[in-house]
Amino acid sequence: MKALEVKNIIKQFPGVLANDKINLFANKGEIFAIVGENGAGKSTLMKIIYGLYTPTSGDIYIFDEKANIKNPHDAIRLKIGMVHQEFMLIPRFTVTQNIVLGDEPHKGIIFNYKKALIEVKDLSEKYRLKIDPREKVANLPVGIQQRVEILKILRRGAEILIFDESTAVLTPEETEDLFKTLTKLKENGKTILFISHKLKEVITIADRIAVLRRGKLQGVVEKKNTNEVELARMVVGRDVVLEIPKVKTKIGKEVIAVTNLTVKNNRGIIGLKNVSFDVHASEIVGIAGVEGNGQSELVNALIGFTRPLKGKVIFNGEEIRLLTPYNLRTKGLAYITEDRKRRGLVLPFKIRENIIMGQHTLYPFSKNRILNDPEIDKFSTKKLEEFDIRPRDIYARISNLSGGNQQKIVLAKEMSTNHNFLLASQPTRGLDIGATEFVYKKLVGEKKKGIAILLISLELSEIMALSDKILVLYEGEIVGETTPDKTNEEELGLMMLGIKRQEKVIQ
Amino acid sequence: MKDTLKKVIFGRKEKYWWMNILVPFISIFLAFIVGAIFIKTTGRNPVVAYKLLFGASGLFPGPYWKGHFAEMLLSSSMFIATGLGFAIAAKGGLFNIGAEGHFIVGGITAAYIGYAQPFASLPKIIHLPLIFILAMLMGGLWAAIAGYLKAKRGIHEVITTIMLNWIALYLIEGWLVIGPMKAAVETGVSGTPYISQTAKLPKILSGTRLNISIIIIIIVLYLVWYLFYKTTLGYEIRAMGHTLIFGMESPKASGINVERRTIQTMFISGAIAALGGVFMVLGILFQYPPIFEGGYGFDGIAVALIGQNEPIGVLLAGILIGALRTGATSVQLAHIPKTFPSIIEGFAVAFIALQALVRYWLMKLIRLKKSIPIKIEGDAK
Repeated sequence: MKALEVKNIIKQFPGVLANDKINLFANKGEIFAIVGENGAGKSTLMKIIYGLYTPTSGDIYIFDEKANIKNPHDAIRLKIGMVHQEFMLIPRFTVTQNIVLGDEPHKGIIFNYKKALIEVKDLSEKYRLKIDPREKVANLPVGIQQRVEILKILRRGAEILIFDESTAVLTPEETEDLFKTLTKLKENGKTILFISHKLKEVITIADRIAVLRRGKLQGVVEKKNTNEVELARMVVGRDVVLEIPKVKTKIGKEVIAVTNLTVKNNRGIIGLKNVSFDVHASEIVGIAGVEGNGQSELVNALIGFTRPLKGKVIFNGEEIRLLTPYNLRTKGLAYITEDRKRRGLVLPFKIRENIIMGQHTLYPFSKNRILNDPEIDKFSTKKLEEFDIRPRDIYARISNLSGGNQQKIVLAKEMSTNHNFLLASQPTRGLDIGATEFVYKKLVGEKKKGIAILLISLELSEIMALSDKILVLYEGEIVGETTPDKTNEEELGLMMLGIKRQEKVIQ
Repeated sequence: MKDTLKKVIFGRKEKYWWMNILVPFISIFLAFIVGAIFIKTTGRNPVVAYKLLFGASGLFPGPYWKGHFAEMLLSSSMFIATGLGFAIAAKGGLFNIGAEGHFIVGGITAAYIGYAQPFASLPKIIHLPLIFILAMLMGGLWAAIAGYLKAKRGIHEVITTIMLNWIALYLIEGWLVIGPMKAAVETGVSGTPYISQTAKLPKILSGTRLNISIIIIIIVLYLVWYLFYKTTLGYEIRAMGHTLIFGMESPKASGINVERRTIQTMFISGAIAALGGVFMVLGILFQYPPIFEGGYGFDGIAVALIGQNEPIGVLLAGILIGALRTGATSVQLAHIPKTFPSIIEGFAVAFIALQALVRYWLMKLIRLKKSIPIKIEGDAK
């Protein structure tokens, strides 16, 4: 039985054909995945199904009946639920209060919290999704918050659940938990639409996979008849070199050396303990680890956001005592952020204004604190060409650019500063394959130029492919040091989980 | 040639750029309509009221135009000063509602330097600029206190600027004006002594009170525009303004010293708001009165909001508010209280606050117009 079918869906945005005659169906009780690069039209299609957008033309059938979905209320009535990327939960409310919000059990005008608690408990048992109904949402990790969101949707009687890039905010373990949840939901006869740009995830979880490219449906494949390489080819439309050929360069002199760095995080707990390492010119040092094991503390200390409790940072042969962003930048730091919207870009600014940020006080962009507009225009036009940023309009606002192009702006901005140390913190987060490949190429290019690179990443394949030396971070400590030739992903994985420890020999 | 011209005029602008201009005008228009409804419901004639209001506002030629025009520009220059002060801070992501305090701090400083020896015996060419510099410095420092507390201690500027407003008010009215700066007259409370002739602003229109304040403020407007869009400091202030209130860290991560810029932004904001007080004392009152009926600081917020924090917008909004205030007394002829223009001002701000809605309506209108030809095309196929 077809739970959902879309026929000839067309969605025309000003200047962009986001969905071009899409025909799809999902059977009841299956996990149906939709993959595609950023901007392929996946989210648009889901928003049409959920009633957030109205299609330019085309029909939607829910359980073989033609549906007229004008807004999310219609969608909820038709038993469609959506788990948004950003959760719509109230942090100060308990799990129960959040789940029943909008449809509370009541006696007269009095909220019946006890009945709500029982309802939530029953619901949690029915779907075997473990939660504590009395806990405040603010105290829960992201993975559990997502579970609350799912339960909320299930309580409204959803039969078709849409997961829009739901794994983007999750750690690897949480993703695994989510997959278990999805399997349970499937066993309960729910239909799941799973949107992702991560091929590995899709291959793991989905029964059937639809591939979108530039708004067009490239095809629907059964999981058992395909593999990652074939999917990648469908997604990108060409063979992707996911494995970057190793570039052997002669490793140069030491650029940055960190000894016994200990840093507190913003909760006041020591997040990084006695970490020591050094990075040489023309070398990529990869830091592997599960998210939340000290990466953000390390980044914050190295860019001068938090003052370390103790430890020494020697940068270009000189000890830096005053770790401030300005000071470090003038000494030669460049920083590719994991969160480009928060730390890399000013979204309402134009491309030309963003691309000079950090260098705007230098010649030729300004002289005597007065900006030199023609030089800025010339520079940004050149960079747009060099980094293949679209649109080629230096007056376009950053907020109107796609994620991949935004990241390219960050690269263009950071790589054109006068630097010899590049801190790349999850530089491919949230990027599609094409843009990821571009970032890899640029990083290798930097390495060839003789720049010392510290690469912090959650993707093991990325670390393995790019690094000359790998350090494993676990609970704020470096638990292993190795090279890609001497290890494999399994061994690294064990180290990342703290199971295998390597006694440190470096001192 | 045509292409380059097109690029210069249109190329740099985003799509629907004209909406940024249209929306404030629509908001003001709506405010006047709602104002008219108010008048109508109280049984008076809105047409007569608006005729009287604009007739005496100085915006349009008519009887006694010269006088009205001068008065309008005189009060506009003060509204523009406080509005600009607010706008500068707002561009930097700071909600500075201390313009009232900066205004009176500027005013009292101007009064003191205006009458006290040895300043009062200086030649005009030195005396007048000196007053401006010192008054702006004092206003700027007053605001920089709030900036310092925000930057170093994280205390929200709304709280500190409100508190500094009251501190300034009571320091002046409760101590300075009746104490050390009291005029030596027998009647008791009379404010400070009058400023010397060398401190008075030169008049530029005979037979009226109009002085060079409007020229000064227009030059300042241009300088602020230049600061915003042509200097690195302005660039950094704007970058902060787009990120600070959302807790984003891009400017800081790029090496901009956000703490120092916060203090500097507040200083500039306060210095320019203080200009309003200088205009008041040197051009209109010639002393600091015992009780000062101000409000210019708070009306400045309205001016900045209507003007969308852009220098040119602040200029137009300042003139509008100045005109409404100038015409206010004459609406009494239509048996409407003279505070009525404040209602219009309030509604204009309210509609500006609703600009997202106005934009949405406009966009809908555009889509409606555009969708018709597409449909015809589709049918033809």
